[in-house]
Amino acid sequence: MLTYEPGDSLAHGLDPRGKLAVQFGLAVAVFAYPTARGFAVGGAVALAALAAGRLSPLRVVRAYWAVFLFLAVGPLVGGAALGDPWFRVGPAVESLRSVARVVPVVFVGAVYVRTTPVRETRAAIQRVVPGKVGRLFGVGVGLVFRLFPVVLADLRATRRAVHARAGQRRPLHDRVRRILTRGLARSFLRADRLTLALRARCFAWNPTLPSLAVRRRDYPVAALGAALAASPVLALVP
Amino acid sequence: MIETDGLVHRYDETAAVDGVSLTIDDGEAVAVVGANGSGKTTLVRHFDALLEPDEGTVRVDGRDVTEQPVYARTRVGMVFQNPRDQFVAGTVGADVAFGPENLGLDRTEIDRRVDEALTAVDMAGRGDERIDRLSGGEQARVAIAGALAMDPDHLVLDEPLVGLDRPTCESVLEHLRSLSASGTGLVVVTHDLRDVVDLVGRVVGMADGRVALDAEPERALDRLDDVGVRDPRC
Repeated sequence: MLTYEPGDSLAHGLDPRGKLAVQFGLAVAVFAYPTARGFAVGGAVALAALAAGRLSPLRVVRAYWAVFLFLAVGPLVGGAALGDPWFRVGPAVESLRSVARVVPVVFVGAVYVRTTPVRETRAAIQRVVPGKVGRLFGVGVGLVFRLFPVVLADLRATRRAVHARAGQRRPLHDRVRRILTRGLARSFLRADRLTLALRARCFAWNPTLPSLAVRRRDYPVAALGAALAASPVLALVP
Repeated sequence: MIETDGLVHRYDETAAVDGVSLTIDDGEAVAVVGANGSGKTTLVRHFDALLEPDEGTVRVDGRDVTEQPVYARTRVGMVFQNPRDQFVAGTVGADVAFGPENLGLDRTEIDRRVDEALTAVDMAGRGDERIDRLSGGEQARVAIAGALAMDPDHLVLDEPLVGLDRPTCESVLEHLRSLSASGTGLVVVTHDLRDVVDLVGRVVGMADGRVALDAEPERALDRLDDVGVRDPRC
């Protein structure tokens, strides 16, 4: 699981609003253009983002292996058939094309997570989406970023505890049931403790947020995001 | 000043705190001792309005905490038993700034408070470090800094030394002594008086939700059996 790590890479120094714009734009563009050119552009943006965040693609794959495994299974399932021929290439390729659209978005998202403090994300969201909706969304994103790694760590701890007492000898469904039920119980406990901590520290819907400043280097990033987001509309212009 | 008057808190039918009346003055260093389940943690959580009394009242500086919980939480800083339960951000600086940000202070004041709090626990200049990469003792100090950044009159620490090795305990205690000397009131919840007997000027012993002992440390030492706590001289 990747989380924010302080650093001095180019991506660390960018305004979070620009980075969010690139993510949004990339998602729009790759889904609007399921073509070779679309994949090439998506791949190029993802590689540029990884370089800007000094993040190895292998590290992203290791961190989000479950996501990549899920994506990899997609074409296999898509091509599988219940009769002869048992595997059909056409549907598998179609599924592969759909999966390939998601990969650059995951890489760019990983760079964002690694290079952006949660409270800056909250500040960016609350500035982009005004009013109560923005506050609610900002707080929600903050809590998810805070809780998710902790819950994952709890699940891993439960799995280790199961293995430590030769639990791997039990049937798979029994292990999965134990890990999920304990994981759920721990998640509730974590949420309870986090609520207590938030109250003790005067949680506010409208706190003093970090100041965000747009600098010269943010303009090309924002422009790239806008261009990607507008690309389906621009394509309609004769 | 923290005052409780006839405080009762029940979990279902069981009274975890049963008619506690207590006054803790500003600047006072108090140990709240007792066996597991004696009601220590439940009692101190009322100081911060984290629980609602079933009966009785809790006041901070004369203000009822149920009516003014934010005031209580700014005057009484809470450090939880497990520091990790308290962290709400990934880096040291962001977590310590969390409380002052919630108070709506301007950025200059927030930065000043964060710097002061981190300096007070010997963590100055480490605001950018990730909390999950710190040692247990460093995490305990960051948790204290997070409470100090609220600029409280009292600091409530729930079992602050549990799970820490001896050198780390000494380091945390040294910082607590320094805070106490600077006038910050301390309420240290513990089931083992050995570590804090030199730190506090008063020992409140809890048993079955009631105050069974309230005395200076020298006199309290002879009555620790009453509250199921080990005598530090043994």
